[in-house]
Amino acid sequence: MTAIGARRLPGVNNVVRRLAGHLVRGFVMILVVTTISFVIIRHIPGDPLLARYESLVEKGMSPEQAQRATAALYGFLPRGTLWEQYLDYMRGLFHLNLGQSLSTPGVQVTTLLGSAVAWTIVPVLVGTLLSFMVGITVGVYAAMKRSGKLGDVLALSGSLLHGLPQYVLALLIAAIFTTLLPIFPSGGTADILFEPGFNAGYIGSLIQHAALPIVTYALASYGGWILAMKSSVVTVLGDDFILAAELRGLKRGIIFRYVARNAILPLFTILALSLGMLFGGAIFIERIFNYPGLGLLLINSITSRDYALMGGAFLLITVAIVVANIVADMLYTAIDPRVRSGGGTAS
Amino acid sequence: MFLFPTKKAPAPEREASSPERTSLPERSERSERSERSGRPEELGGPERSGRSEQPGGPERSGRPAEVSPPGEPEKAFPGKKAPGVRVSGLSVVYRTPAGELPAVRGIDLELVPGTITGVVGESGSGKSTLALSLLNAVQPPGRISAGSVEIDGLGDVVRLGGDALRKARGRHIGYVFQAAQNSLNPLKTVGKQLLDLGRSHEVDDLRELVRDAKELLGRMGMDGARVLDSHQHELSGGMRQRVGIMLALVLNAHLVVLDEPTTALDMITQATILRIIREVHEERGLTTLVITHDLGVVAEVADRLAVMYGGRVVEQGPTMEVLGAPRHPYTQGLIRAIPRLVGDIGEARALPGRPPTLGTIPARGCVFRERCHLRMAVCETEEPPAISRGEWIVACHAVAAEAEAEGGRRRVAAGTQGSAKAHGAKGEQG
Repeated sequence: MTAIGARRLPGVNNVVRRLAGHLVRGFVMILVVTTISFVIIRHIPGDPLLARYESLVEKGMSPEQAQRATAALYGFLPRGTLWEQYLDYMRGLFHLNLGQSLSTPGVQVTTLLGSAVAWTIVPVLVGTLLSFMVGITVGVYAAMKRSGKLGDVLALSGSLLHGLPQYVLALLIAAIFTTLLPIFPSGGTADILFEPGFNAGYIGSLIQHAALPIVTYALASYGGWILAMKSSVVTVLGDDFILAAELRGLKRGIIFRYVARNAILPLFTILALSLGMLFGGAIFIERIFNYPGLGLLLINSITSRDYALMGGAFLLITVAIVVANIVADMLYTAIDPRVRSGGGTAS
Repeated sequence: MFLFPTKKAPAPEREASSPERTSLPERSERSERSERSGRPEELGGPERSGRSEQPGGPERSGRPAEVSPPGEPEKAFPGKKAPGVRVSGLSVVYRTPAGELPAVRGIDLELVPGTITGVVGESGSGKSTLALSLLNAVQPPGRISAGSVEIDGLGDVVRLGGDALRKARGRHIGYVFQAAQNSLNPLKTVGKQLLDLGRSHEVDDLRELVRDAKELLGRMGMDGARVLDSHQHELSGGMRQRVGIMLALVLNAHLVVLDEPTTALDMITQATILRIIREVHEERGLTTLVITHDLGVVAEVADRLAVMYGGRVVEQGPTMEVLGAPRHPYTQGLIRAIPRLVGDIGEARALPGRPPTLGTIPARGCVFRERCHLRMAVCETEEPPAISRGEWIVACHAVAAEAEAEGGRRRVAAGTQGSAKAHGAKGEQG
């Protein structure tokens, strides 16, 4: 067992090569998606500058005044052909400059995204991890007791929650806990009474405001975890090595760990991918609870035709998903020895 | 610690003889074969009982692994001696939508201490169910509905349960899975799984356990340290099978059940595994049960043979006698169906018909009658009586009629019950 280091060394090289390949592919993917979203965004009906211009004219400005005001407000007017604009945009991207927001003039897109990211990541991350942990635990239990009543009830609760659309669940929870039983605030991130900072009142208020979105998010995804884990556990329970372990007289606890570790493996991939999706925000949930996360920002940018912000949000989501894919693959490499050594059977 | 018995033929010669396994030895070949392998043709007798004591027992008794915590009923188990096993009246049923169907019915079988018993049968004959019954491990929806499995030092395994049963598995009874099946946790190295095994059985000195495992693996021609550091996917089929044998033996179990140990292995590996089974069996003084559908495997390793069909043992006895002059029409048919290494392939004649499935096993009468050329009216209604001659037992109406015609030379047992008793008495002397 001392030879581990020496024998695994080629494996490390393998990992680096794998990672490099992923990064190159991911970079190309991001370029392609950015290009496509750029083209699509520019072709969405409704031009924000024109809309601004027209609203100014409606307010009584002369066309020239309105044009000047619009240009002054945004600091620029789109110039040149689409191709030139695209090159401009890409040049900016490489300097991490996503441009200025059109709907909140004078503010950088990166600033807007940055302030929204935290409000999305923390609740969605907590919600996802919570539902993952509860879901797989219940899933294991449902699989073990699958011939009993309790197993049926658990599996049924999974199917039910899985089938319930997120927005219905969110509305239900919002109705119950903010209107019928007003024990939670209906929106925002924290009470304005408290000074933002590291003090008990503010943090308490943060948690209070985040509670409903988190619970909603957890409940919405928990059904899927139960069902996935249950079927995974049932599959592993039927594997020969579990019977073999039983016939070797291994303790129940050890056999349980064998089952759990093997069953959870495919779920890690789903987990990593769903963590990538979290940057897309939980649009319905953020909207219903009026929580200023990325989802809300994205929706607002689309309705106001904020090209720059839309592009920035899409880019963020793309990068997050690409990174999540890479992380999922690397994670799999770490936990599954079969992938680590390049798979295949020595013979 | 593991010494080859010097009287045995060197290994290469054994391997060289393996291709002939596919063709069954003729009567004339038999004596020659047993001479070559130095194996006594007759079972029992002083030589066999001497052999079962052989492996360095006294050394092993000092192993901490051997010391069971006080107050455990099974500590009286004679760890150094091959246990005898008596299966009597064993029936296993599977729950199906059509009711409980028997997969194994009324089996009487004895494993003589220190012998290798081979169980052959087609798929669905109940041989694997029988193997699992020895560990009281028939998987739901199956269950043992009747009978007992008495193992020396353990008692009736059918009545064991809970922790006592768990501890018996692994420590007293080793079980080796079919090679093609994955009997190892794919996520853990062999070494870590070995430690799990040790911890499950309260082995105090895990270093000693690892040392024993390495020795066993080395004994089977592998680099122990490397294998323990490997995952399942890094091992070939033959290597996995040897790891399986190691895990079955490392806790010093003296009853070993091998379920299709050579299925899905290539010929060379098959020969190696069979040689290892034979050698380890003799060195350690085991009682071994080999389940297989390959008559060649049985011919190669088994001292005794039981032929199963439709959940019954239709014929059993010393391997060479049974294979040399089979009496049950099913055994005869099986042997006729084997293509010879030399000669026309057309000479091999397949048994007509199909083996019964769980749902089509006749509830009454002889299970083989549908495919039997000796079929008589009585086969429809009555269980075939067990005819025994010495250790040789055949359950067939036609054989019974023949025996009766021959007169009092053969003892005809009235039913399975009587024969089991007679057989059991015989086993106790051996």
